[in-house]
Amino acid sequence: MTSASDSTERLVRTWMASEREEEIVQAVSGMLRQISNGSTSLLNVVKALGEYLTSEEDALRTKGKLRFPLEEYHAINLSILGVEFLSAVLGRCPPEKLNRQAGTIYTNFYADIAQRGIARVLTSFYCSKLEDSETVVPALKGLVSLTKMPSSTSEDVPSILDAIFTHVKMKGLVQSVRFFVFTIIDTLMARHRQVIKDMNDSFLGRYIALVDGEKDPRNLLVAFAIDRVLLIEFDINNFIESLNSTKSLFNITFCYFPITFRPPPNDPYGITTDDLRQALRKCLNSTPAFGPLAVPVFLEKLAAGSPTTKVVIFLISFQTAQLILLKRDTLESMSMCFPVYGSALARSHARKLWNSLKLEIFQPTDPITEEFALKTTQDLVKTIYTSQTADGTDSNIEGLARDACEECIAILREPEKSQAKPAIKILCAFMSTTPSVSRYTVAQTAPYLVKLYAHPDNVAARPSILLLLSDLIAAARNSMAANKVDDSDPLDTPLSPYKDEILSIVSSALKVSSSRDPALACLLGLVSTEKLVSDEELGFIVHTVDEILLEESDEAGETNVPALQLLVTISQKAVHHIKEQTLPLLFSMLPEDAPARDAALDRARAWRILSALNTVCRPLELFETLVIRLTTRLDLLCVPSETVPLPADREPRVAYAHSILITLHQTLLSKVDDGHADVAKYIESLVPRLFNLFIYSALVSNEVNPIATDTRLITVAGQIIGTVVQNTAAQRQDTFIQALFAAYIDGDINRIAEGYHKFPKTSSFSPLNDLSPLQQRNLVILMASAVVPLHKEIQLPVSDLSVFLGNILTWSLAEVEAVVDLQRESTWKMISAILNKHASFFIENMLHEFWPRHIADRSASAESRNRAIRPWVWISKALLVCNHAQASQFADVIFLLFDDEDIKWNAAKSFGDIVRTDTILTKQNHASIKMLYAQRFVGRTLPRIIDGAKDSSEPGKQLSYLVALTSLISSIPKALYFHEMATLIPLLVRGLDLPDHDIRCQVIDTFLAVAEGDSPDIVSDHAPSLITTMLKNSSVENMPSVKVRVSALRYLGVLPNIVRYDVLHPLKATVIKQLAVSLDDPKRAVRKEAVDARTKW
Amino acid sequence: MSGEIFNPNPTVFRSSAKSHSSRSLSTAKKSLWINEPEWSQPDQETDEEEEAIDQDEIFDLIRNIYDPEHPNTLEELHVVSAPQIDIGENRVKVEFTPTVPHCGMSTLIGLSIRVRLIRSLPTRFKLDIVVKPGSHQSENAVNKQLNDKERVAAALENPALVKTVEDCLTGRV
Repeated sequence: MTSASDSTERLVRTWMASEREEEIVQAVSGMLRQISNGSTSLLNVVKALGEYLTSEEDALRTKGKLRFPLEEYHAINLSILGVEFLSAVLGRCPPEKLNRQAGTIYTNFYADIAQRGIARVLTSFYCSKLEDSETVVPALKGLVSLTKMPSSTSEDVPSILDAIFTHVKMKGLVQSVRFFVFTIIDTLMARHRQVIKDMNDSFLGRYIALVDGEKDPRNLLVAFAIDRVLLIEFDINNFIESLNSTKSLFNITFCYFPITFRPPPNDPYGITTDDLRQALRKCLNSTPAFGPLAVPVFLEKLAAGSPTTKVVIFLISFQTAQLILLKRDTLESMSMCFPVYGSALARSHARKLWNSLKLEIFQPTDPITEEFALKTTQDLVKTIYTSQTADGTDSNIEGLARDACEECIAILREPEKSQAKPAIKILCAFMSTTPSVSRYTVAQTAPYLVKLYAHPDNVAARPSILLLLSDLIAAARNSMAANKVDDSDPLDTPLSPYKDEILSIVSSALKVSSSRDPALACLLGLVSTEKLVSDEELGFIVHTVDEILLEESDEAGETNVPALQLLVTISQKAVHHIKEQTLPLLFSMLPEDAPARDAALDRARAWRILSALNTVCRPLELFETLVIRLTTRLDLLCVPSETVPLPADREPRVAYAHSILITLHQTLLSKVDDGHADVAKYIESLVPRLFNLFIYSALVSNEVNPIATDTRLITVAGQIIGTVVQNTAAQRQDTFIQALFAAYIDGDINRIAEGYHKFPKTSSFSPLNDLSPLQQRNLVILMASAVVPLHKEIQLPVSDLSVFLGNILTWSLAEVEAVVDLQRESTWKMISAILNKHASFFIENMLHEFWPRHIADRSASAESRNRAIRPWVWISKALLVCNHAQASQFADVIFLLFDDEDIKWNAAKSFGDIVRTDTILTKQNHASIKMLYAQRFVGRTLPRIIDGAKDSSEPGKQLSYLVALTSLISSIPKALYFHEMATLIPLLVRGLDLPDHDIRCQVIDTFLAVAEGDSPDIVSDHAPSLITTMLKNSSVENMPSVKVRVSALRYLGVLPNIVRYDVLHPLKATVIKQLAVSLDDPKRAVRKEAVDARTKW
Repeated sequence: MSGEIFNPNPTVFRSSAKSHSSRSLSTAKKSLWINEPEWSQPDQETDEEEEAIDQDEIFDLIRNIYDPEHPNTLEELHVVSAPQIDIGENRVKVEFTPTVPHCGMSTLIGLSIRVRLIRSLPTRFKLDIVVKPGSHQSENAVNKQLNDKERVAAALENPALVKTVEDCLTGRV
């Protein structure tokens, strides 16, 4: 014990005497260590400090005896240090060490009060120190810690508060110290609320005085939290407002409203304006007693935010932005306060509130504020009318809702005027308030609009009236959801009494083209309302809409999107009407045979019908009909009966068949997007029928030349097959692939291609034979589409995968006339997809045989070598994406070609192709894709390419590196190369001088990509050279490619947003002058970009 | 610039998407193929066909100018329309209709149109901006002001006025 107290004393002395920060810290932590391991106690600390703690009083007492003022100063100073030290120790002391363990404690200084415990002692000690302005800071700090200790008791509370209220002068203290005061009160409020409640009046009055004038956001957040407790739980009647002084609860909260605080940039405390707003709002709406006082404040603030006219806005737009924010805050606060303040208050101030809210809606400063004002109006109405029980007597709605309704309806008298829009908005807002107001509003508005429509004077305004009506219908529909109390409650639809009238005017309006769209909008609202329109009426609506489709099919216009949208909505409710009425109509309008080449109108009409079918036929039942009808149409079109000769001009018919296939594919894709499960089942019907048609056409192609041998049709058919296989379960894929390979390898076509056409007995199907005719070989496209989306676990039905892959690769590279690029690309994609999922010895063959023989061998023809790079790219891709160990080898050897004049261009470009995302190796196709594969590839190759592009010792190679760089950069996301941007920019600018237009276009697109995002001004240093190059690329004399011109101009248009004006200013005149040239570009798209760019400058 | 609003409640017309209405027909005229697949498009690089500036293009330039008084575009208020634009060899004439005959904002609207077109059309064009005959009580004064080079130049020296014009052009109201 003795040694322990010795060391404690030593530490205390160090602390007192030392001037050096680290020693002080050491002393505190040493002390803490001793306390934690029990070798000393807090009591010892206090004991050791004893002489210093009392030194001040000694000093005062002996003041007369002291000779040197310095000594006096020193003594006081020591006392401060002592208090501080104790606070420092307490602040870090584990709470359990401060328990009331003090029974045996004795000190000469605290002898009389020792039994009451350390905490108690310390509390009163600190409180006494508050009297002294020198020790007030550390004493508060100590109290912050002490009050948080479990040992602080409620008995101490009044004395602490008394001491604080009496001695602490907030105005003289800095923020951090005031924060201690708030923290202490907050802690006491949380832990000993009852004690403070018992004090009530004596606490409230002095607290209000204490808080008054506080401005710091950090302190205010705590103060607002305390205020809310006071307002809710305390007896505040005497303190809401005091007539003779500004010190009232109302004053200490509403003086901050609305919050104008804006955090400084890089605010370390992270307090946002919104934090303060939320905290303050919780105070404002915590007691109804504020109501009568608050309303005038709200009104005043709202009016203060209103510039009288728009013209003023132009002049003070900066302050306006701030004012608008304040206004929104005010509106939102009003919304939150009304329900608390109660309906009686809301009713008595309704007129005044409505008058100023109305202003915000009819002459809105901006759409968002208008939205807020509508919301506030709704809350006001809700507050007023919620208390009225829904007694069903709707007609006697009195007061605000009635007045406002009448006012708005009066404005609707001129439905085509701009004020009608806010008026209907208000009425619509009323619909989502209370059921009684909602019913009243509908009962007033709906018949009025119907009457207005019928009035002969308003014929010209009919579209506007219908538009207003459609808003009302939609609002009525939405209000049903909002007003629904619970699911079981069968609320009557507010519109049902007026449904018949509305339906009758709407169906007449549909016949007039100008009012058609708004009428359709009305119908859409009616149809999507629950339990409003009967099945019979739906049938009638479908019938009228069908008539529109029929009528419009003669015009040249676009598809009537709202009409289709309406049909789609109806199909969700009553699919049979669409199936029985609309589909037969649409199919009958679809021409049997292709429109002739010069019949543009017919063609446009056919397209429109197909696109309508695409939109409507997504639900299960309708899609089934669509597939059957369209495949039949396709069969007849592709294989016409013997009697009808093929037309001389095949092209229109091919194009028509193509558009039918495209429609099927697009509908399938949208079904996949919507997650429809029925896609998979079409592997049983649609897929075999397509195989049937295309294999049949290929087999008979010797005698006749059916149009289904066209590769453009085969490609779309492949896409359809791919989409279906993608969405088929693995098991079904397995049997499917067995049948597929049986057909393609063994010639057994009956398993895969059941259908309408009977295959000729004479010819055999062997597309993978080198000697097969072109038409058969083309069908590899279908095979590839079916193989690419296979699941990983599906094993291909071949004896040796490596041999199979080798065979088809050789087949694809064969130098025969019947090989076309489409076959090749499909084959390579298929190889890529297979290799990605199944490792094979084939990879070794590629590296050791294929590479030296087909690519690296410089004696082979340039054409065949260039071609061989493509499968190389596809295989590298497959390996790269699944992180195969040999992926890097595949990429590295390409660098060896960079000095090879024959193929270096394509070799260099392949770097982008390897890493670019494609449509083959995707999650949908069940490819194995590893995370961050692109990052790994870029990390490995980019530094090497950059070095190569900078190295000017071999210009030929350098060019290849530059091409590789542009190709790579334009294929990867910005994040992967952004850190290198400073090095890349000069290289990319050089890339803009490469002769290849595609490369230039890619480079500009890269610059455009870099321009978006967080730090786009990275190009500032290069702005002059960039501008010169872009201007060169934007004029028609220097750049024949429209695409490059458009991109270059777009980039010029982006520059003013991303580069500081002082950098651009010297160039401004040149740019504007040069852009004037592009304004006269022969192409419209270029001119448009030039206009935009020039406006920006 | 007083705070008076000349027409507090103008008629708003629904803007028609007319300039796009016959798009599919025109594609159908050009191509047999739906959705213009790449291989059916003539190579753009070699496509020398010239697309001259026409009425619709000029209308597209000015239709989205905002009215100084309202959050509506000139198109929505029927202040400008495609048929009111006349285009010659090197001359463009734009006629506009103020919403009310006493509209004091007419010159501002006309100036906005002029500034937009000065910026967006090749310099070879001469611009004439006029109010529709009989639609404004001081028609001649407005026309004179809008087509007098010196007056326009002087107006564009006035920073407050330029700011207002900019706001009309960008819709920052």
